[in-house]
Amino acid sequence: MKVEELDLSEKINKRIALIKDEVLSGKINLLDLQLNPIFSEIKDSISIYNIENYSQSYRNAVELLNQKFEELKNLLSSLDIEKKFEDFLKTNPNEAQISDLFRGCWRKIFHFEPISMKFLDYASNRYVKERLTNFNIEHLIREKTNDQFLLEVPKFKFTEKISAFYEKIYKKLPCFFEDVFDNELDQIEIYEQFIYLLHLLQLGKVKYQKDTNTLYL
Amino acid sequence: MNEISILMYMLSRKKSIQQIGATKKEILKSLNIKNKNKSVYFQDLLTGLSKYLEPLGLQINFNSLNSHWFIIYDNELTELISANPFEGRPSLSATLLCVLTSCLKNSGHTSFQEIRMLRNKKDVKDDIKILEKEGFLEIDKKTTNIRLTPLIGYKLDLQKLFVRLALKLKE
Repeated sequence: MKVEELDLSEKINKRIALIKDEVLSGKINLLDLQLNPIFSEIKDSISIYNIENYSQSYRNAVELLNQKFEELKNLLSSLDIEKKFEDFLKTNPNEAQISDLFRGCWRKIFHFEPISMKFLDYASNRYVKERLTNFNIEHLIREKTNDQFLLEVPKFKFTEKISAFYEKIYKKLPCFFEDVFDNELDQIEIYEQFIYLLHLLQLGKVKYQKDTNTLYL
Repeated sequence: MNEISILMYMLSRKKSIQQIGATKKEILKSLNIKNKNKSVYFQDLLTGLSKYLEPLGLQINFNSLNSHWFIIYDNELTELISANPFEGRPSLSATLLCVLTSCLKNSGHTSFQEIRMLRNKKDVKDDIKILEKEGFLEIDKKTTNIRLTPLIGYKLDLQKLFVRLALKLKE
């Protein structure tokens, strides 16, 4: 194979990815793994023709090396730790000095006490149900209006309307309550006239006898 | 409910004062993950969740004393909140360090006598009782042996403490 055709970058990347997976799954320990072969392979196969592809491989290998250093650091710091604690206590530190040793080492735990799995499940189901409900959204029919909006004022004043209603019914009186609305079929009209009647009763122009259900003057 | 909400629930739950979060086994069981690559999948899930948590000032952590994964506030927030449970009570910090030293030396347990010696103090009973009440240690009623609970693995960054100790001794 010609030098310019040799490119092992992809193979090296795959190998590093596999190592990472095996470290994560606990199959291998990085401290037991020799990284020299990877770096040697990069060194031996890199050339001006493939240098672009090798930058990622080199980066991945260095990442692995950093991880190994980190593990080594942790191992070294935990070695003989009880002796280190004893040595420290032998220096007779006062309470404030010991307290200072803990500075920056305390952690604040994050926890949610009141939310149970049951509640989360319930909330989730409810949310999903509510989201799935199909609402028919119908567009409103736009009413044609004049460009200028004007507040329409009733043609007659309220008192005039009451008077007109009184004029209409006083010839009927006395009569039963229902008879006042006898000729009226429109519910809105009946309701309107009922309001007038209440006002007339309040003003004392018309009287009502409950026992006989009679309206009179 | 998706994996993120289940993970959030499991990692932030408090089973007892000394049991917060969940073990890998519990998480895999809850998510019904049984395939042979479950460990890789588990790591991916935790990495994925930690990316969501990072902007909120939260981190995923592991308590090696009881193998529980749990969530903590990041360093910046912890400084603001003041996480030190012995603020203004340096005597308790000192006694706890002695218990920790002695437990490391005696494979996990210690005695009142040993703490008194290390602490160079006649009476450590009150401190020990308070530490027991706050969940940091347990006292065997029959033997009066003292042992640390996993709570210290949640509340203290032991790795950081070891490094600080090594640096202190170098000074």
